[in-house]
Amino acid sequence: MNESELMLKLRNLKVIFPSGQGIIKAVEGINLDIEKGKCVALVGESGCGKSVTSLAIMRLLNSPPAIVKVDELKLDQEELKDYSDGKMQELRGRTLSMIFQDAMTALNPVMTIGKQIDEIYIRHNHLSKKEARAETIRALDLVGVPEAKSRANSFPHQLSGGLRQRVLIAMAFACMPKLIIADEPTTALDVTIQAQVLNVLSDMQKKHQVSLLLITHDLSVVANMADTIYVMYSGKIVEKADKRDLFLSPHHPYTEGLLGSVPKLSDTQHHFVQIPDSVPHPMFKPTGCYFHPRCRYKTKKCEERMPPLVKIDENCEVRCWHPLHIKGGGSQ
Amino acid sequence: MKKKLYHLLKICGEGLKRFFRPIGSFIGKLWRHPKGRIGLIIVGLLILTAIFAPLIAPYDPYDVTERASKGLSPSWNHLLGTTITTGQDIFSMLIYGTRVSLIVGLVTGISIAFLGAIMGILAGYVGGLADTFIMRTVDIMLVIPTLPLTIVLTNLFGKSYFMIIFIFVLFGWTGLARVIRSLVLVLKNANYVKAAELAGASRWHIMIKHILPGVSHLLIMNTALTCAGIMIAEAGLSFLGLGDPTAISWGKMLADAQSGGALLFGHWWWIIAPGIGIFLSVFSFMRIGLVMEEILNPRMKQSSNIYKIFKTLNNNYLEEVFESMDESVILGDFAEKEEEIA
Amino acid sequence: MQKSYLIKRILYAIFIFFVVMVLNFFIPRIGVDDPAERYYPPQGNMTDVEYDIIKQVTREQYGFDVSNLQQFLNYAKGLFQGDLGTSFRPGNPKVSDLIAERLPWTLVLSVTNLLISLFIGLMIGTIAAWRRGRWQDTLLLNMSTISTALPAFFLALILSFYFGFELELFPAYTNPNMVSGFDWSWEAVKVVMYNAALPIISMSIGGIIGYGQGTRNAVIAVTNEDFILTARAKGLSRNQVIFKHTLRNAMLPIVTSLGMSISGLIGGAVIIEQIFNWNGMGTLFLEANNTNDYPLMMGIMLFMSAFAIVANLVTELCYSLLDPRVTVGEKR
Repeated sequence: MNESELMLKLRNLKVIFPSGQGIIKAVEGINLDIEKGKCVALVGESGCGKSVTSLAIMRLLNSPPAIVKVDELKLDQEELKDYSDGKMQELRGRTLSMIFQDAMTALNPVMTIGKQIDEIYIRHNHLSKKEARAETIRALDLVGVPEAKSRANSFPHQLSGGLRQRVLIAMAFACMPKLIIADEPTTALDVTIQAQVLNVLSDMQKKHQVSLLLITHDLSVVANMADTIYVMYSGKIVEKADKRDLFLSPHHPYTEGLLGSVPKLSDTQHHFVQIPDSVPHPMFKPTGCYFHPRCRYKTKKCEERMPPLVKIDENCEVRCWHPLHIKGGGSQ
Repeated sequence: MKKKLYHLLKICGEGLKRFFRPIGSFIGKLWRHPKGRIGLIIVGLLILTAIFAPLIAPYDPYDVTERASKGLSPSWNHLLGTTITTGQDIFSMLIYGTRVSLIVGLVTGISIAFLGAIMGILAGYVGGLADTFIMRTVDIMLVIPTLPLTIVLTNLFGKSYFMIIFIFVLFGWTGLARVIRSLVLVLKNANYVKAAELAGASRWHIMIKHILPGVSHLLIMNTALTCAGIMIAEAGLSFLGLGDPTAISWGKMLADAQSGGALLFGHWWWIIAPGIGIFLSVFSFMRIGLVMEEILNPRMKQSSNIYKIFKTLNNNYLEEVFESMDESVILGDFAEKEEEIA
Repeated sequence: MQKSYLIKRILYAIFIFFVVMVLNFFIPRIGVDDPAERYYPPQGNMTDVEYDIIKQVTREQYGFDVSNLQQFLNYAKGLFQGDLGTSFRPGNPKVSDLIAERLPWTLVLSVTNLLISLFIGLMIGTIAAWRRGRWQDTLLLNMSTISTALPAFFLALILSFYFGFELELFPAYTNPNMVSGFDWSWEAVKVVMYNAALPIISMSIGGIIGYGQGTRNAVIAVTNEDFILTARAKGLSRNQVIFKHTLRNAMLPIVTSLGMSISGLIGGAVIIEQIFNWNGMGTLFLEANNTNDYPLMMGIMLFMSAFAIVANLVTELCYSLLDPRVTVGEKR
């Protein structure tokens, strides 16, 4: 793929957290490409390193406690990994922005939401307070906050959960950045509100041709939005595929398990396929393939050696000794 | 009726068992924590000193007939010298002072824990009128100046440590009740409590069996800190002469030192000795309370420890860790390559 | 701030004052049928006849010869006219006059102490939070465990011994008549400050460290909040994050403890005043106690309570201005 088509090129990102008991390996060398104007999803259970990845791309991880090592972190062909703090501050909010999970805690409780959005315009577009407020109201209008003008003067606790999340989206889109990272943008919401908020996010992304990195544990959220999906497990990418391929023929048993946990309307006979146990503690990862203790298809080889990430076709990679739905691939 | 009483007693017994079990494991955790161990050791020594005071003290601290040896400086005969006014042995007084401090501190601390837990749970769990009444009382207690009221009450009912403990308990439960109440409000909505409610468990049953064990950690931690605070307050009241005038306490020793001319004649040991007593007892209880807090909220400790860990990190080791994550991405047809790897 | 909230808090404060007033009225009447017995306890060398006469005189003098309810009404009426009662002292001075005479002396100590503690405490607390985990922070933590275990009056004794008696730098016992008629002249201020130095230092060591540790914990707690991450993700500079987001929120718990310090301004220095022979409210109260001067004791108590009620009210109102969540009752 041509590099100029890539909005984000991430190569070999590693993040560790030293602690009193040992070293926590949160992210173990992942690669991530996001094409311009596309939506890429990063999927995995909680505790597998998704959020750490997003913060590492934003370069928001503090050291201490984190130590980050990355070979390439290119945003629109610009290498960010050696940027100074000041330069990163210029970039954040303007060309690179983020939507956080829980809007209740992600918004400052003692500041009106209007003021919190104003700050972005004042900081990056050097507007006066009055001009900034006009922009803020427009931004709130765009994400469908009713009566934006008066709502701008309310405090976060006075808004409903859905509205708060829209405020966060308005914040992220304020300066029409090139890349937006949405970290579980709808997890804290009710299902109906989730759909509304996702629609807003998806509309905004398509309308303004922004690249989006969507981080979630919920494959049903991804189904309507993402173009490419990365599945992450215990700090490593285990599968990368186009959305269609991934949903039709998952190659990694973990992906199969995740898909099995999504309820389907057509399926009235089978029960959910569930993955037993949970993600290993990042300090005590198993030998061999990290997934083998929970895998139905495991063999002796899985217990001994970590499989490499293997390219199956143009847009598809998988990390498994016995991938599913493949000719000669072992288990099926 | 009898059956019901039996049932209630059984619930209480189980609740208490659940309540006291964490205490045992807590002391274990404290002992394993280096700072907590220091606190436990000092408290243990203080308790031993209080119990065996007559064996440890070389002289009778109440003996004011030793007119010949007034105002002696420290020597092997009198480790901390003698008082200027009455010739009492200061070291023996220091040993005996442990008793008042520990008894007042422990009795008050434990009583406050009981009263505060009951009030806090009632206010938080029962809610309604009980809550309103208890919280209004707390608000009123907060604005009444404690020390002046204590002085007035000792004036009314006579000076004794019983009176002091009574007043401390009367005023001390308010803060604890507030803390417990806010925790109970959280616990009340916990799923296991809801489940018990749906299963038809009585209020008493839930309060004793589910809520009380839930607050026990917080309660133990607060009791340790309360004991420390009470010991300081007791020293202050004794210093003002509001304690039992016949008992020997560290606060009263300080008052005697001040009025007896220790400052004037330069007998600094007479002031330092009771000060060290107060410091050690308060410090040890506070240490225990703070270590418990640390055990309860491990995040707070980790965040400040991380800097120490970072200082000791070895760059070569980190490089190794990073390299251990590396791998080569294999391109091409899968089946072919798999054989190659195998 | 909502008006209804303001009115509610004021009414509540009045209710509390009423309850305190009732308590104050009844305390001297606990355990005796006739309050005159409390006011004038029987002396050993007195015959019953003599004592009856004395009681009769006391009753008439203090208005105990009417029903309890009437007594209470008279007491309340007096209070509303600013009459706190009449002392036993020679010349029967009014309690309010005695308080007015002594109050400034106490305030010199306690207000100076509070200002010093607050400003230095805030400063070192912020520094410790800033340098978290390094020597500045560790030093503050160790100091705070030591200083809380050392009672202020013990420090006062040590200071008075060393600086007063050994070095003779400052007076160890202050002269109540250190200035005749305080006139705000530089000379008079100097004399008062010279005398107040040791009491203030012994009070403020604990205060400084207490406020320092409190500030440090508050700042660190806020730094770990999600909205600080949001603020950084918006591209705000480090200073903007600290001054606009961190400090404002860290102020909240500090305001609470400041309120508690203020309500203890009058009654918090009893022992220190006694040690340094300082002619303030504390010594006045102890004198009243030694002479069984109940009207004076109860008058001072009521005054202190009223002061604490007003201080609490003001703190609550300030808090609600700083934290918009309070007015809707989420924080209580």
